[in-house]
Amino acid sequence: MTSPTNATSHDGRVMIRLEELTKKFPGQKQNAVDSLTLDIPEGDIVVLVGPSGCGKTTTMKMMNRIIEPSSGRIILDGEDVTSSDPDQLRRRIGYVIQQIGLFPHQSIGENVGTVPKLLGWDSKRISTRVDELLEMVNMEPSQFRNRYPKQLSGGQKQRVGVARALGADPDVMLMDEPFGAIDPITRDRLQNEFLRLQSEVRKTIVFVTHDIDEAIKMGDRIAILQDGSHIAQYDTPEQILTAPANDFVADFIGKGASLKRLNLSRVADIGLKQLPTVQLGTDREGVMAALRQTELSAVLVLDGEGRPLRWVGAEDLQRGGGRPLDELGLAPEAAVEARATLSDALNELITARYSITIVVDSRGVYQGVVDIDQINDAIRTMRSTAVAKARESLTDDSMAEQGRLP
Amino acid sequence: MNFFEFLVARSEDMLELGLGHAALVGAAVLIATVIGVLLGIATYRKEKPREAILAVCGAFLTVPSFALFVLLIGPLGLGWKPVLVALTMYGLLPIVRNTITGLREVDPAIVESALGMGMSRRQRLLRIELPLAWPVIITGVRVTTLVLLGIAAIGSIVLGPGYGEFIFTGLARVGTPVAVNLVLAGTLGVIVLAILFDLAFYLLRKITTSQGIR
Repeated sequence: MTSPTNATSHDGRVMIRLEELTKKFPGQKQNAVDSLTLDIPEGDIVVLVGPSGCGKTTTMKMMNRIIEPSSGRIILDGEDVTSSDPDQLRRRIGYVIQQIGLFPHQSIGENVGTVPKLLGWDSKRISTRVDELLEMVNMEPSQFRNRYPKQLSGGQKQRVGVARALGADPDVMLMDEPFGAIDPITRDRLQNEFLRLQSEVRKTIVFVTHDIDEAIKMGDRIAILQDGSHIAQYDTPEQILTAPANDFVADFIGKGASLKRLNLSRVADIGLKQLPTVQLGTDREGVMAALRQTELSAVLVLDGEGRPLRWVGAEDLQRGGGRPLDELGLAPEAAVEARATLSDALNELITARYSITIVVDSRGVYQGVVDIDQINDAIRTMRSTAVAKARESLTDDSMAEQGRLP
Repeated sequence: MNFFEFLVARSEDMLELGLGHAALVGAAVLIATVIGVLLGIATYRKEKPREAILAVCGAFLTVPSFALFVLLIGPLGLGWKPVLVALTMYGLLPIVRNTITGLREVDPAIVESALGMGMSRRQRLLRIELPLAWPVIITGVRVTTLVLLGIAAIGSIVLGPGYGEFIFTGLARVGTPVAVNLVLAGTLGVIVLAILFDLAFYLLRKITTSQGIR
């Protein structure tokens, strides 16, 4: 850890190091951030989470020196940036805030191209980069490039905010409650999209939130902060849920830790269940055969690309006479992708018609389903693992006192 | 001679006085805009300088125009110079106030994201804050123009150019048949100019304001 240059993978290499970082605002008795030392590993999402007023946002804003530290050092990629030119520093660090702060008088394209323009790229290179970034956040460039922020929905603005922060391909992104102002359904989708994007770009991300569920879902590592940005625990989400370091952490996680673990497991982690499906254009006999095999009262019809199209039951088949399958039955509910958490899957399942959640890949092609029994099993497994781990830590408590993280 | 016959007979004078009036007010508005916007930029972020500059500009407006024109004869003599200086002083308040208001109303989140992306103080001001404050600033300039068009008429007391000449000549001949025509013609000239300037500002605002904040 002392020599950040000799690491081969992102494991263990430190991208941001805070050394005894302190901030005292004038007129306040207590330090807002009190001698915080923290290492942020390269390529990870590190979530700073804690109650309001704990100093998490101040901590983050010191990393790009929107707030200047009173004392201590900030090391970015091995280089002390505590007193370097702040404008140059900020152009190397992506920045997303809760209100997003798109420039309303500039088009989406201009917004996204802000940092490349500041860095003096030529206009052709900027427009290529802008299109690339818009595609990365699933916004069709030709459709959105020339629009203005007021013409976008909240979720679209948020995507543009992320694209803008990625402008000049910074190594580090700072995100201050980036999904905080978005309705819960869109928020879940954006979080999943963001995680998929992160699996491609592998940025070092510092993410501030007050929501422990979001922290568990988004974080590779979580720093739970108390007053003055004192670290209560800095660990992986699994460890924090399984072995809270103290009462503060346990309180902060709150009740229902086993349900929260549903945020840790991805749909891809548990085996998908396969149900009989039929292709569009299958004849009546074929559909009836599938219906006899399935445990549900309907069978899922897939289109030519393999995407879910309709639920069709025996009654629909009789009532429909000879009409094609895509005109019968009911449209399926929203599906989840394999990257979605079990918690997302459970949410869909509760409202779904046949008490199962359809799983698709990124192009919408049917992969399988998740039902309530599988989720139940997952909860049971996680709970027993947690109990086992808790027992373990009980027996070597005497040794663990010194060894506990951080 | 009825009023229309009078206007036709004096149409050349009407045009000449109109051009003089418009040029004088236009110049005063231009100078007041440059000074006013710069004063606004210099003071909008700190409370004390902000309050001080607004108080000074407000005080200018309380000096009776008649008195100010006469007082300025001493240093500047007769003609357009004292009028231009006085009009500039009167024009500052709406522009300074709207510049300060416009800049202060820019959403702090927008300024913070500009800061976070590495824009310097100057870049933030020129690329973000001023364009966003612009509709408010130009509204102040428009108010200034309307106020100055009226005050400029009084400038004729120190022999400044413009429709004031008709009005003061009319005043000097109260009781004669031409007096009413003269005052009416001067007033009408000012009103027509006001409408033309207003139209120009409407168009200017439309052209110079980004589609995204219209």
